[in-house]
Amino acid sequence: MNSKNRWVSVTWCAGLLACAWAAASLAASAEAPAPAVAPVATTTPAPPAAAAPDTAPAGGADAPATSDVKTLDQEVQGAKKDVIDLNKDLFVLEEELLFPANTQVAVFVSMDVGTFFALDSVTIKIDNKEVANYLYTAREADALLKGGVHRIYLGNQKVGKHELVAFFTGKGPVERDYRRGATLVFDKGVGAKYLELKITDKVPKHQPEFSVKDWE
Amino acid sequence: MLASTATLAAVPTLIDKDAPDFVLKGLDGRNLRLSEFRGQVVLVNFWARWAGDSRKEMPALDRINKTYARAGLVVLGVSVDDDERRAGEFADSMRLSYPILFDTGETVGRDYAVQKMPMTILVDRAGVVRYQNVGFKRGDEDAYLDHIRELLRE
Repeated sequence: MNSKNRWVSVTWCAGLLACAWAAASLAASAEAPAPAVAPVATTTPAPPAAAAPDTAPAGGADAPATSDVKTLDQEVQGAKKDVIDLNKDLFVLEEELLFPANTQVAVFVSMDVGTFFALDSVTIKIDNKEVANYLYTAREADALLKGGVHRIYLGNQKVGKHELVAFFTGKGPVERDYRRGATLVFDKGVGAKYLELKITDKVPKHQPEFSVKDWE
Repeated sequence: MLASTATLAAVPTLIDKDAPDFVLKGLDGRNLRLSEFRGQVVLVNFWARWAGDSRKEMPALDRINKTYARAGLVVLGVSVDDDERRAGEFADSMRLSYPILFDTGETVGRDYAVQKMPMTILVDRAGVVRYQNVGFKRGDEDAYLDHIRELLRE
């Protein structure tokens, strides 16, 4: 994509984001007055207190106030939920715009067993250019051992062949410092490309094994 | 309300802003991430071996850590020395009870706009910078204690 096209694309993306914000604001403002009617509705049942004239007035005055607070609380909770939903939608939209499927490459790290390797860091180079370098804390490494998957890189790469080199550092068997690499030449097509860096145990050799899996 | 006591007016302040997250390798080989201490009060001390004030401040921070660690305070020392090995030897000789991390890439120092050594910041339980002190002079540790107690009570 030449620079002019890219600029047009960015302008279009910005316009789309602005539209999304405007739509969300309109939706919020359109929804906002509706619950405000509710307190009025809840106050109207108070007059039936006439059936019990001595005790009802005091209780009737408290009841609407309580229901008002409840309604307000519900509105606040609803508004919070709307904000969270909107944030989620914007996040997804932003990712789709910043990393369109035709150039998107995502790299994930997963770990299985981990008896022979304690992960410390992973460095990723694509076409000999460092694109990610991540230090794992003990909690993050534990999360990987429990089945978690970490997205270490999300970026844009042109369609065509690319070489990915991943360097893993950590402690190997017998607490030795360990540094190993894994390489994969992948073909970036028109769709999004997902690659997984897998750390597994090679039980017969009592060594960890590092591989890169291309999710077609 | 906690007030800023930055000693240099020109130093950019981070007070009331989210503390920039970082992950750094420690002297003991472990990696520590600031955001993993969310829910605790964190004191981050940027220091350098060549800064005389750092040498004076570290024993005071060690005493604070020993006293308040059980109350939920975390003290992190971040070395901005270029020479990690010599910084490590220096920290070892100080026999500190709190973890020492190495910012050899100086990325964290840049995020926190560290311009003078030492620099100490206090991060509250929500991850917001609430206090910042640049340099160190006798009596500063008392100000640290006042702020720490207040943040621990929140």
